[in-house]
Amino acid sequence: MSSKSPVRTSTPSGSVEPFPEKKESTLKQDDVIPSSPPSSLPRWKSLFQHDVASADWDILLLSTCFKLLLFPAYRSTDFEVHRNWLAITHSLPISKWYYDTTSEWTLDYPPFFAYFEKLLSIPASFIDPNIVDLQNLNYSAWSVVAYQRTTVILTELVLGIVLQRFIKGAVDRSLQRIISVSLFLHPGFLIVDHIHFQYNGFMFGILLWSILMARNGNKLASGFLFAVLLNFKHIYMYLAPAYFIYLLRSFCLSPTGALQPTKFLSLANAVIIVFLASLGPFVLMGQLPQLLSRLFPFTRGLNHAYWAPNVWALVTFADRVLLKVAQRLNIGLAIHEAGVASTSRGLVGDTVFAVIPNIKPIHTFIITIAFQAIFLVKLWRLPSYKSFVTALTLCGYTSFMFGWHVHEKAILLVLVPLSLLAGENQAFFRTFMIASVSGIFSLFPLLFTPAETLVKVIYSVLWGALIFGPLQKKVYEFPKSLPFVIIDTLEKAYIAGFAALQLFTTLFPIWASRSSAPADIRTNGTTLESPETPADAGPASNLEFLPLMLTSIYCAVGLVWAFIRLSVLYLKQSEGMVWT
Amino acid sequence: MDEFPSTTLGESSTIRQRVHSRNRSFISQSSTQSVSQATKLPPRLRTPSIQHRTSTDSLRSNVTNSDILSPIPRRHHHLQAHESRHWLSTPPLSPVSTRADSPLSARGLSPRALRQGHTLSFSSLTGPDTARLRASQTHVTHEKKTDDGMARRWVRWMHKHNIKQWVLPCAILAVTLVKWCIGLGSYSGKGNPPMYGDYEAQRHWMELTFHLPVTQWYTYDLEYWGLDYPPLTAYVSWLCGFIGNRINPSWVALDKSRGIESTESQIFMRSTVLFFDALIYIPAIVLFTRIWQQSRSHRTQHVALLTLLFQPALLLIDFGHFQYNSVMLGFSLLALNFFAAGQDVLGAICFSLSLGFKQMALYYAPAIGTYLIAKCIYLGPQQGRSLFIRLALATSLTFLILFLPFLLPFAPISAILHPITRIFPFARGLFEDKVANFWCATNVIFKWKIWFSKDHLVKLSTLLTAAGFLPSVIVLIYAAWKLRVQASEDKSQNKDSGASSQLIPLLPYALLNASLSFYLFSFQVHEKTILVPLLPLTLLLAGSSHGSETFELGVLVNNVAVFSMWPLLQRDGQAIPYIALTLLWNRLIGYNPLRPNKQIFLRYLSLAIYTAIITLHALELLIPPPTHLPDLYPVLNVLISTPVFALTWLWSIKREVEVSWALGGLGPSSASSTKSAPLPTSSSSVRPGLPDRKLTSDRLGVNGLDGVPEDSALTSSVESVASRQVKSRSLGFARGSKVLQRTASAGPPSA
Repeated sequence: MSSKSPVRTSTPSGSVEPFPEKKESTLKQDDVIPSSPPSSLPRWKSLFQHDVASADWDILLLSTCFKLLLFPAYRSTDFEVHRNWLAITHSLPISKWYYDTTSEWTLDYPPFFAYFEKLLSIPASFIDPNIVDLQNLNYSAWSVVAYQRTTVILTELVLGIVLQRFIKGAVDRSLQRIISVSLFLHPGFLIVDHIHFQYNGFMFGILLWSILMARNGNKLASGFLFAVLLNFKHIYMYLAPAYFIYLLRSFCLSPTGALQPTKFLSLANAVIIVFLASLGPFVLMGQLPQLLSRLFPFTRGLNHAYWAPNVWALVTFADRVLLKVAQRLNIGLAIHEAGVASTSRGLVGDTVFAVIPNIKPIHTFIITIAFQAIFLVKLWRLPSYKSFVTALTLCGYTSFMFGWHVHEKAILLVLVPLSLLAGENQAFFRTFMIASVSGIFSLFPLLFTPAETLVKVIYSVLWGALIFGPLQKKVYEFPKSLPFVIIDTLEKAYIAGFAALQLFTTLFPIWASRSSAPADIRTNGTTLESPETPADAGPASNLEFLPLMLTSIYCAVGLVWAFIRLSVLYLKQSEGMVWT
Repeated sequence: MDEFPSTTLGESSTIRQRVHSRNRSFISQSSTQSVSQATKLPPRLRTPSIQHRTSTDSLRSNVTNSDILSPIPRRHHHLQAHESRHWLSTPPLSPVSTRADSPLSARGLSPRALRQGHTLSFSSLTGPDTARLRASQTHVTHEKKTDDGMARRWVRWMHKHNIKQWVLPCAILAVTLVKWCIGLGSYSGKGNPPMYGDYEAQRHWMELTFHLPVTQWYTYDLEYWGLDYPPLTAYVSWLCGFIGNRINPSWVALDKSRGIESTESQIFMRSTVLFFDALIYIPAIVLFTRIWQQSRSHRTQHVALLTLLFQPALLLIDFGHFQYNSVMLGFSLLALNFFAAGQDVLGAICFSLSLGFKQMALYYAPAIGTYLIAKCIYLGPQQGRSLFIRLALATSLTFLILFLPFLLPFAPISAILHPITRIFPFARGLFEDKVANFWCATNVIFKWKIWFSKDHLVKLSTLLTAAGFLPSVIVLIYAAWKLRVQASEDKSQNKDSGASSQLIPLLPYALLNASLSFYLFSFQVHEKTILVPLLPLTLLLAGSSHGSETFELGVLVNNVAVFSMWPLLQRDGQAIPYIALTLLWNRLIGYNPLRPNKQIFLRYLSLAIYTAIITLHALELLIPPPTHLPDLYPVLNVLISTPVFALTWLWSIKREVEVSWALGGLGPSSASSTKSAPLPTSSSSVRPGLPDRKLTSDRLGVNGLDGVPEDSALTSSVESVASRQVKSRSLGFARGSKVLQRTASAGPPSA
């Protein structure tokens, strides 16, 4: 008797989830189980009987219950930003949306997001009319908190459904389930969406939907969805080059390279229709320049207040070190006075270097494009799905690494598509792990309140343990040669270093406040991190900036390393082999 | 010879072959990791070479005719040296799992049952294995019906991925996270001057114990949250006050800090609860699963751990409302663990500490006191007396130390009265808020406070309370007396006082009975006090299997208990955690009231209660109460909850009697049958088996008692010897009897 049961082989994999079992560890284990016969339900019934394993319900319920508990947690100004947008879209006519300046938090997302807010504002006005009152700034009653937090949870269901669909057609479903769960429960979403407050879960849901369509071969829908996404939030432009090349090469061109006009036109029409629906009204009203000026404010500096952990953080840090060295040793380096003054602390102005030549937006732009071009050439030659996802990740990664005024939250743009590749092999998994750990840690400073510190740390540790552990076991390969053993050890040491870093960032402010002013500064038993934007620039705040800077530098090292790893992995991928 | 696909079972499987005339069948068993199960058995049961003899020995084991006709050839024991324990394991009934679940769980079967269900004919090997497929398919549907719940799914997943050693740390981390997140919200009396609430009371005690001398602790400004808990709370408060003062003196400044609600001080207060909970309650739970569920699989232990960790009522009160109940409950649970491990003196000390932390532990006192006395009786005059003296000494010494600062050399002689009068506030009313007990529920039609004076009410309530827990006292003592008689016959037993007694399975029921009778009938009860009876009930629930009476009732009472505290939680602003945690916990243990099960009465009762609860919540949300009946909803809440608690109180008596009877410690029938009947109990042939049985029953502890005595399990044991039947019936455990069958069929007492 063969080790496979006969029914198993006759069932096409991926058609029916045979058992409501969470994450079956290997396909082999299924063999004991004959697949349940295809359900003979009528078609209309099977529509409602969506094929959800009870483990999926578990995850959904668990995460929802947990997110409900986070209702009273800290929320950033983004909460008020979104409340204000609810008010703007509800109480003003569409022609004034992008002109209103009642609050300092003006509408600066593309029109689809404005429509989305308009939609959300309708129930809000029934629940509590004060929510949508334009003049009611900084409204923070229980009703508005509960309402807005609930909308985040509900709209995140898009992400959940899409991720569930990812499992359905996957080659190794148990692996895909771990990856899907890892994305749905991603600490990045928890920190940024459910505590800090944004709607990333919803929008990454659309992005993943688009990727899912690409996987399933429906490239037209993929392009359409990405166009929709772009009109929700324009930060996804970082990913656009990969989409453009991929769709052009694999959808609009035949394998021989000949243009297929019908396909090209249908895709072009789809995209144009989306943009018309979004921008059309504003074009008609002649507000396009105003809208664009809101969307792309080119008045900011190279670094954000808290340096996003990218190449520029390292460069800025190198500049600071060189400045100190130069001042100490009196070497004849040309020191720009403006650079000495610019400590890039808490000011959303220009970062001016003291020693290193200054960076202008055009430089960052050129570097980004240059790097992206390398990956896109690769994608052009190898237009498969996996290749597309990798190129997409690298596009986002390049923009994050070299972009102008990158915000640390943009790391999600890298981590989300990268997660899809985590189960590929050991090398991809390790890249994913390093990038995830550093990326998530780099989000920690978003929540500086002591109460949430415990939440973010424990949640991330739990997530890491429950995701990395099983994934690692699935893909583990022994390092094959001495250099790899050394790299492996170094990487492990680097990841272990995060524990020390967290300890330092927790304890340092207490120590600093003790040493400078024993009694007055708020201290407590657990943790204290310096706020995102220190108010005054005295020597104490200089110290307060130290944990933030260290966090940024340490994470930047890991993220740059993961970027190099991923680039090498991608470029080394054999083109002859069909890498699907 | 064709091998049954071993890969199908994942792990190394043993193959049993049975020759039955022309029939050859294979039964394979998945290996289990129930090391605990296997290693606990006496060594001779693990030697497979003896098994052969067993199966031929029809008289002393549960061997069916087919066994006699077709004895099971086994591999030479050298061949299965490493797998020698696998024959004990359960068959892979669960198609999704490579490993069957707990050997003692509902689906654990004896080898014989396995043979009946899963026999394969020789011909089936040649063609498509339809018989097996059908069998598996029925199990698939079966599996879908009796879904296991999130906790078991997760634990199974963890075990499958070889990270089972992470289950415990992950569970503790997760529950810490949940507790902390509950603490992000509001608490009792937040922003509600001038008196605030329990949070302020606890904080105020830190302030006053830290700043004032001991003699003033129970006398200082009694109007503003005077200290009314026993001294251990005061000492803990002092410790917290000390640490708080080191960090930020303004949090505990005397008088000036009243009503302080700064973010940092809140975090400090919340972290103290978390700390003491992690220090006492969590280790107590972990020890409970290790000690009381020793004989069960790691998975079952882990599931029980999760069930206990996420119990919503305690989480909501301690981390939402703000109290330190888990410390008191943790000490009591530690005491139970020590009792189960046979360390009675340590247990008594722990219970004294529990009493010294919060007087609410007094609800357990009748049960625990009686248990200890019963233990002394059980041990016989000599050992019993020595144990009694040791217990008395330990208890009095603990209390002496706890109250030392209030006693003579350190304080005037009247000082001791202050804590005592503060701890037992008979000056207050029969009940304060609406609480789901007898007095408050009957108060709707019978106005106690008007018709009786307070003194009368105190006496009446005391009397009723005593009457309420009297059954458990009687049963415990009587069982101990009976068992003493029986046990003294088995002189082969080393009745070491260090070992836990046979009485231990009675203890949780006695605790439940006593604490519920206090909750229902005693004077001045708070709604939060339901946590005290909930602990023993949840312990029983954690060891029970799905669909059993204990499980259904346990979950129902837990849910109703949370509901009965709804008015309180609503006031505290804990409405969302109330919903979230109740849902989460029910999902975790896999409870679904809509699923059909055998407990018809309980099922309809549950459905009715849940319907009432949901209706009440909906009404409360939609319609404000009429002005002349402002307390309408709390009163309705009481009227829904009280019958459930009263029913549980009755059930606890019933179960205690049943279990006691099953232990052979009650009723003339079992006692006389074991003594008088010409059964092998008294014959020397079976006598060596007795210690095993005792051992098993002892190890079974609570978990053996989960199911109702399942007659089916017993009647199916066809040829079992009468004494076995009596004994296993008298053990009264569905699971226990299965274990017995298994030991009987497999491991004989060596000749």
